Amino acid sequence: MSYGIIETLVSELMRLPTIGRKTAQRLAFYILSMPEDEAKSIARAILDVKEKARLCNVCFNISEEETCQLCKDSSRDSSKICVVEEPGNVSVIEKTGLFNGLYHVLHGSLSPIDGITPEKLKLEALSDRVKTDTVSEVILATNPNTKGEMTAQYIANLLRPYKIVVTRIAYGLPMGGDIEFADEVTMGKSFQGRNVI
Amino acid sequence: MLLRTEGIVFKSFPLGEADLILTILSYDGGFLRAFAKSPRTTKSRFGGALEPLSHIRISLMGKEHSDLPRLTQADIIHSYQKLREQFDCFLRISELLEITMSLFGEKEHHEGLFQLLVDTLNYIEAEKESDSLRRFLFYKVRVLEKAGLSPRLQGCARCGISVGTFYFSEGSVICSKCKDTIADDNRTSGARLISMGAVNLYETIRTWSWDKLNRIMPNDKLIFELDSFLNLHIKYRIERGLKTRDFMYKTKTLATSSVNADKNEIV
Repeated sequence: MSYGIIETLVSELMRLPTIGRKTAQRLAFYILSMPEDEAKSIARAILDVKEKARLCNVCFNISEEETCQLCKDSSRDSSKICVVEEPGNVSVIEKTGLFNGLYHVLHGSLSPIDGITPEKLKLEALSDRVKTDTVSEVILATNPNTKGEMTAQYIANLLRPYKIVVTRIAYGLPMGGDIEFADEVTMGKSFQGRNVI
Repeated sequence: MLLRTEGIVFKSFPLGEADLILTILSYDGGFLRAFAKSPRTTKSRFGGALEPLSHIRISLMGKEHSDLPRLTQADIIHSYQKLREQFDCFLRISELLEITMSLFGEKEHHEGLFQLLVDTLNYIEAEKESDSLRRFLFYKVRVLEKAGLSPRLQGCARCGISVGTFYFSEGSVICSKCKDTIADDNRTSGARLISMGAVNLYETIRTWSWDKLNRIMPNDKLIFELDSFLNLHIKYRIERGLKTRDFMYKTKTLATSSVNADKNEIV
């Protein structure tokens, strides 16, 4: 058997993040041993995602159509927009089942030291949405780190003229965690954001 | 080899799913780069310790002279969370961090650099925002001196006597008599007239002890003049514009006069 095609597959798989030569070899030989249908199905899924996936023209989430299913869904509350950094964050919030509004994906966060300036994010589109739509609340669900916090502060200032409620997701300790191992910043934030029960 | 030291987190770069590569200014070893495993997960033991500006006690594990040791422990000494929560203030501090990273190479220890930054952050945190403007200027003057790139503002670099115009290419003031000794290309690359008030302020910041600088309360006009001059000098020395400065223009954090001053470098 010629190892040329296997070597090509290994090299191609190594382009993926966190895949080194050993893992790529293991995956290549596994693909070789797979039923043809399954292998074709993987190949088709990769092609489909490259051919059909695009950004929703409203929220900039990944979508197959011009407007994504979430934005099209009339049962969702269009007066609330949840702002997230990456498309992956949408599915995490959707899994909670607690938010029934719309989303806006920024595709990054502000970082002065890395040269990530506001025009590199989908911020103008966000203010356009707030201007035109019947939005009453924008929930800032950027990451709870310095870049995410800075982005949230910038958006809050950007939206101030529109007289809408701008909220930030709560900070604090993760469920299943232990106070003993919490650092002072996280613990301090938990105290600041405490609730009456 | 295990290394234990203190450091200030300057920058982090995401790697893979949840890892980070950190740039830390250490107390005794200059800038270090370290690999941190999974600090971005919600239950990470590092918590908020690896955020920029955090003053932390760290343990690093790796081979001797390793370029990327692994961070095994990070405990917060002081988080400077208050500074991170103020947009404009954090932006200005980011500028200081970028300048420092541009002027000093990795693993180059410079006596007092770490303490200069800690002192500056402590003062900025303790002072009112309007008072802290001078601290950014003090830091820039002092950090240029530590890097050996202080501009010479008193006395012509050639004859040492007369006063004149500052030439960025020479890093010094050159009088009108000695001006012709500068190569044509350098003469046109940028020059600036600096007021005596700014020169005196600069010399005071440079020569007075750090503790005594508390007594100096320069007016905003003087701070602005010296600051915009130093920004141009730094830009010339590091041969590029600062990303943080560009960010300030775009977010309109700087006053219009500041933006114009940064651009207007030719006399």
